[in-house]
Amino acid sequence: MNFVQCNLGAGVRLHMCETDKFKSLTCKMFIQQDLQTQTATSTALIPFLVRRGSQEFPSTLQIARELEYLYAADFSSDILKIGERQILEFYFQMVDATLLPQGEQQLERGLRTFWDIATNPAGSSQAFVEDYFIQEKHSLKQELEGLMNEKRAYALNRATALMCAQEPFGIYKYGDLDTLGKLENSQVFEHFQSLWAHYPLDIFLVGTNLDVVANLFGQLVEKRAEIQKLKLPKRIQVVEPRFVEETTEMQQTILILGYRTNCSYLDEDYYPLLVGNGILGGFPHSKLFMNVREKASLAYYVGSSIEGSKGLLTINAGINGENQERTLQIIQEQLRAIQQGDISGDELEQTKRGLISAMTSMNDYPGGIIDRNLMGIIHGEMRSIDQVIEAIRQVHKEDVVRAMEKVVLDTTYVLRAPRQEGDSHGTN
Amino acid sequence: MEQIRLPTGEKLYQDQLANGLTVFILPKPQFLRTYAVLSTNYGSIDSQFKIPKRGLVEVPPGIAHFLEHKLFEEEDGNAFDRFAQWGASVNAFTSYTQTSYLFSTIEGWQEALIELINFVNNPYLTEENVEKEKGIIEQELRMYEDHPDHRIHSMLLENLYHANPVRIDIGGTVESVWAITVQELLGCYHTFYQPSNMALAVVGDVNPEETLSLIRQHYPTWEHGQGAIERFYPQEPVSVVHPWVEETLNISRPRYLLGFKHEPKWQGEELLRQQIIMSLVWRLVAGRSSQFFEDLYTSNLVNDSFGASFSSSPQFAYSIIGSETEKPERLHEELSKIIKKLQTEPLSTTDIERLKRRIYGGHLASYDSFEYVANRLISHHFSQTPYHRFLELVRDVKVEEVQTALNTELDWDRSTVAVLRPVHRS
Repeated sequence: MNFVQCNLGAGVRLHMCETDKFKSLTCKMFIQQDLQTQTATSTALIPFLVRRGSQEFPSTLQIARELEYLYAADFSSDILKIGERQILEFYFQMVDATLLPQGEQQLERGLRTFWDIATNPAGSSQAFVEDYFIQEKHSLKQELEGLMNEKRAYALNRATALMCAQEPFGIYKYGDLDTLGKLENSQVFEHFQSLWAHYPLDIFLVGTNLDVVANLFGQLVEKRAEIQKLKLPKRIQVVEPRFVEETTEMQQTILILGYRTNCSYLDEDYYPLLVGNGILGGFPHSKLFMNVREKASLAYYVGSSIEGSKGLLTINAGINGENQERTLQIIQEQLRAIQQGDISGDELEQTKRGLISAMTSMNDYPGGIIDRNLMGIIHGEMRSIDQVIEAIRQVHKEDVVRAMEKVVLDTTYVLRAPRQEGDSHGTN
Repeated sequence: MEQIRLPTGEKLYQDQLANGLTVFILPKPQFLRTYAVLSTNYGSIDSQFKIPKRGLVEVPPGIAHFLEHKLFEEEDGNAFDRFAQWGASVNAFTSYTQTSYLFSTIEGWQEALIELINFVNNPYLTEENVEKEKGIIEQELRMYEDHPDHRIHSMLLENLYHANPVRIDIGGTVESVWAITVQELLGCYHTFYQPSNMALAVVGDVNPEETLSLIRQHYPTWEHGQGAIERFYPQEPVSVVHPWVEETLNISRPRYLLGFKHEPKWQGEELLRQQIIMSLVWRLVAGRSSQFFEDLYTSNLVNDSFGASFSSSPQFAYSIIGSETEKPERLHEELSKIIKKLQTEPLSTTDIERLKRRIYGGHLASYDSFEYVANRLISHHFSQTPYHRFLELVRDVKVEEVQTALNTELDWDRSTVAVLRPVHRS
């Protein structure tokens, strides 16, 4: 399941995977830019605004009716954050043309609709429809204020914001309330136009009839004059680990431990690091799951993950507040064990198999095959699924130890209910 | 083996083993992954039933879910570890009516399938390991208590239903979980995990005959009591417990959820038809293509979280509709008007036909999802609804049937509203 790539002029790449394996055609478009306070919130408004209406379908209702007419075609738009890039995503899926009456016509109609919604929002040549702009500013405000509703996601974001307060990575993917309050319609519209005109665009397609589709995109995409150059994250040294505890009314206590890996996608130790993270907390056979959940019954969920562009490892667990110190201690022991080479043959092999299996499985999901290329796009080095599998196969225990030795604790963040009188207080 | 031609052109194979187990096999050429799910027709609402020699028993809430956690435990370790040797991912879930164990793997699917069959058929429950699990489940329940969507859903069902166990959380309560005993777990296991009460589905690039013979060879003989399971569900009154309930939670803005209790009078094909009809009803009210949604959204009474759904089984049926909103009372008023309007004015045939196209396309595309297809095949098998006739039934639904459902099923005397408001901070 590999992609054939062709350029549609400067900064625009079309990636095509022709296959009759799926019952649908999937298309995703990504526009990337540097994550910055000045623009993050403007970009975040775009997914909200485009779904309100396009030139051809000037309301949510009209867009929805057109998509229904196209036999449950699906459109969505969202913001992704990978490393210090903010990525604007447009997604479109429809039933494979071969399964529909007048399939080819439906396909062309579907893609033209997609393009219209993504690039031609309802409004004038200088601004979005003013009512839509006001309403969607309000929607984004609710989204930002509503972060606290899901305590685990909130804790993860809060920990990142505290840990990377001085770095672009600390910016939330949907921006911030202060900037939002000041945004003007024309300014966001200008930013929207600039994203389509000057920033790298990648279009991915998975399905059948792709020659027809490629031809159509060739006509639709405008040639660009120049393309914005983008940056990669800088590496930060941890001076001293920080401990932050915040309280809010809730049942569980959530622990987040943020580490700097000093290793990212382009480094030699990247795949050993992924294996190390898997041994630590990526699977049900991992050390964290076995020791925190299965042996000590302290948590229902506990695990770790890697942000491979910025170079972070994050552990999170939901526990009973009175077990905070004990859980933190067990968590830290697990990482130390890996750093000291306490890795069994089974742990290493099972983790590699698990990672290879997850990587191979992506071939079975159109969205998955597409999304995995984002790391390659950002870092200017695309890797096929086979290359990644081979790299994971080559990882030995000493590679894992070497990669994990570079992992340094930066911030421990605790979100919990206020302590009742009589509770013992936590220590740093 | 029975062969069923699917609307996508694919072939589905179905058979029943001598021990009563139903098997579905859906070959998926070109796919690398194999997915299998083994389910029992037993969920959180099955808490009263007859055991031979002991008569009618009633067990505490949360047992089905507790068993789901515990079956992974083996005398010589943990089933998770066994699956790890193939790099497979393994999981399980419990619903009101069903408990399912599943895996997905690239390598060694035959061995993994045998392992799935074995661990589900070999419970290893000790006083010690059952006790140890209680802390883990307590954390799972506490996690949900902090979840606004989960919280408001529970509030609604607790107040919509007097007696049907659907009113209690699938996981039970912290107290009921701590009270569960090894004997109760085993009693339920021996009643509900007999092969004739179970179904197994395999989806992937597999040969149907070989797969069936592998299952036949490895599915163990059931050594406990067999036979029809008699289940009892309390009589549910027409009325609701409370028509309007409120609670507070640490959230940013209020949430509103309206529920209608329906009489679970549909069985078999009628139930499937009703599911299609009610899905059309709720799309007319809350779909993004509905003028009502547009009006509610632009007047800032709902946001993108607005949605509605119909849940049903042979034992219960209810609808829910809700959103985050600054003004729960106003939203309630507007929804009342909308439903009234739909009940009194003629429906647009164009709208219904367009929505049917949507359901048609959605159904075709759903065959790309192994999980969705396998779980649908099994749940429709358990509820005895003919899923393979889905598109035919969609085609045949008439506008009048949608109108009738709107008029008879959305009964305000059988409705409850749950409102979750933010905690006031001092």
